[in-house]
Amino acid sequence: MRRILAQMRKELTQILRDRLALALALVLPLIQFMLMGNSVSLNVNNLPIIVQDLDNSIASHQFIDAFRASITFHVIPWPVDKQPEQALKFNAARAALVIPTHFGRDMARGIYSPIQLLVDGSDSNTARLIFGYASEITWAYNQRTAGLTHPDPVQTAIRLWYNPGRSSKKFYGPGIFVLAISMFPPLLAALAMAGEGEQKTILQVYVSNISAHEFLLGKIFAFMIVALSECLLLLIVLFTYVGLRLVGDPSPFIVATVLYLFCVAAFGTMVGAVIPNQSAALQAVALGGYLLVFLLSGLIFPIENIPIGLRWLSNFIWGRYYIEIVRDAMLQGGGWPAIGHKVLIIGVIGAFFFVMAWRKMRRMQLKA
Amino acid sequence: MKQWMQELFTYRVCVLIRKEFAQIWRNRRLAISLIIMPILQLSLFGYVLSPTVSNLRLGVVDDSKSPESRELIATLSESKSFRVASYYLSPDQLGDAISRNNLDAGIVIPYAYARNLQRGRPVTVQFLLNAMNANTATISRAYAKGVIQVYNQGLVQGGLHANFQEIAAPDINHRGQVSFQPAFLYNPGLISSWFIVTGIFGLLLILNGSIIAAAAMVRERAVGTLEQLLMSPASASEIIIAKIASLFSVQCLMVLCAIAVMKTVFHVPSHGSLLLLMCGAALCILSGISIGTVIATFTKSSQQAQLTSFFVNPPLASLSGALMPVEAMPHWMQPLTRLNPIFHFSVIARGTLIKGSGIGTLWPHLLALLVFTLILVSLSVWRLRKQLK
Repeated sequence: MRRILAQMRKELTQILRDRLALALALVLPLIQFMLMGNSVSLNVNNLPIIVQDLDNSIASHQFIDAFRASITFHVIPWPVDKQPEQALKFNAARAALVIPTHFGRDMARGIYSPIQLLVDGSDSNTARLIFGYASEITWAYNQRTAGLTHPDPVQTAIRLWYNPGRSSKKFYGPGIFVLAISMFPPLLAALAMAGEGEQKTILQVYVSNISAHEFLLGKIFAFMIVALSECLLLLIVLFTYVGLRLVGDPSPFIVATVLYLFCVAAFGTMVGAVIPNQSAALQAVALGGYLLVFLLSGLIFPIENIPIGLRWLSNFIWGRYYIEIVRDAMLQGGGWPAIGHKVLIIGVIGAFFFVMAWRKMRRMQLKA
Repeated sequence: MKQWMQELFTYRVCVLIRKEFAQIWRNRRLAISLIIMPILQLSLFGYVLSPTVSNLRLGVVDDSKSPESRELIATLSESKSFRVASYYLSPDQLGDAISRNNLDAGIVIPYAYARNLQRGRPVTVQFLLNAMNANTATISRAYAKGVIQVYNQGLVQGGLHANFQEIAAPDINHRGQVSFQPAFLYNPGLISSWFIVTGIFGLLLILNGSIIAAAAMVRERAVGTLEQLLMSPASASEIIIAKIASLFSVQCLMVLCAIAVMKTVFHVPSHGSLLLLMCGAALCILSGISIGTVIATFTKSSQQAQLTSFFVNPPLASLSGALMPVEAMPHWMQPLTRLNPIFHFSVIARGTLIKGSGIGTLWPHLLALLVFTLILVSLSVWRLRKQLK
């Protein structure tokens, strides 16, 4: 135990001396969180939409006003003699609403009058959102003009749970938090570990009486402390800037956080032990800690959307379980019954990384 | 005399370029990360990042247990958006299942559902959505409303409940209804990978390009062969030209590979001119190389260069609009994307490939790209020359 603490102290002193490492550890996660927290979002509002009003009647004006009233759209008038497609080509608008002549007359006569909406489909998700919002506006307009005489037989009371304001930040915030935690602590751990191999200081460790698990645990605990301070900084941002709160029982979240910090620190140490070359270790951590967590953990889009051939991979991605735990702790509040097994899986993956690093170290120690 | 000078100049540059090529070719890892990695990344991102909302797990509480309620459930599950996962006896159980993440949505049909419909009274069903994922929630809400609207129209117009209309709505002052006819231009199937892949293309050109350039530039100094180069009769500008030209031509190969992947794997159309796309890509490569060169001049080892790129790449990637629509960013951030070459390239790539726009509509972006490239190239050449002297 004493040797573990001594190793930990040595590691922390080394980190504190290296300015670049310190900046990487504490400032970069914050910068990244602010950047991604603001830019990773699919919730669009103020989308430019052009309206070509070929009818120019009271009814058509009322209809356009319904669009103008929504915060999703930003109506730009478009001259009648210009093709609406031009606006989409020039990226001046995301969609075009074309109101035909006789619109007002058709409405007064009580027949269905068609309205065309041309949507720029090159961004398919935004196109789907535009379609959804526009049809809801049309539906609301129809309801209003029909009045009480024409109620819909089946009405829906839609309740949005856990994130009723549909704030993208509240959904992506926890994910980006996990991404930062999965990236920077293992990066530092891998650099430190690979540095020992590169500068041959590892030979001193081999000839000292410290055993492999003590050496590794000392390193891992040191980087857990780094990760913990990073984690606290980011949590402050999550609680103040994003406005999330811990809902329900916080104990699974706390246990999972400690286990996850161990897991990422062990991952970095393992990579550093297996690849004793700093720039190669760096690439390996960037691949494992960043790319895989970014792509395969359901951070942006649901895991169910990944093709089956690749989806099984996400079961091995440690970040995935922690993202689900953080989301549950901050939005849903399901507690132990909902996420208990995920906490366990994180522990298992962390133990696996530790054992891998330990085996590598032990083999080397025998060789030396 | 001048003629002779020129010949000498070109000859020396040619030799230096040959040397650079030999170095790149011999360094297998560099060659792999130049050709294989981009293709892998392009296809991985294209397959994995998919925002489609389909097959949402729907839980049902059917207190009515009537043909009418079953018809509503069938209409909901007929669409690809929802799939009935399981039935529950009480709304509490349904709520528990949603909070455990076993369900994405739930519907509660009240006891008096069928009776009210037969009597021509409007009836309310409750629809619960797990809105944690804001995007999925917005789209699935619209789906649910759309499905129920269609169901309503079926009820009113005929079939099982033709009597509804007469009882419920004695036509007094009937106003017309707007029927909504959407058309999706350029991508009628709403294939999401087209958007992602064209965005990733620009990201790859700049980010991979800069990392590789930084590694190639810094190596000469780390190994210590820079002195040898400086002692040779080649001038600083010749060395720089040779370095940039070799990296540029290898990355052009990467562009061709990337376009081939986009065409064959993702079937991205090419409605516009490929020449325009290639011009944009060439400018992008040059800016990527320049960013890498500038990073390399500030660092002493390849590992330091890689770490420094962690400070440069995230802002470039986040503020590009390559993966996410720019309109989703906060207002103060949106103008910042205009300062990003990746943003302009992704507009050009989407314009030429998907929309079929020509130079007439895309020239502002091409011009912006040109300006950025010129600034970045001159910055990097200035930094390098300062260092070589």
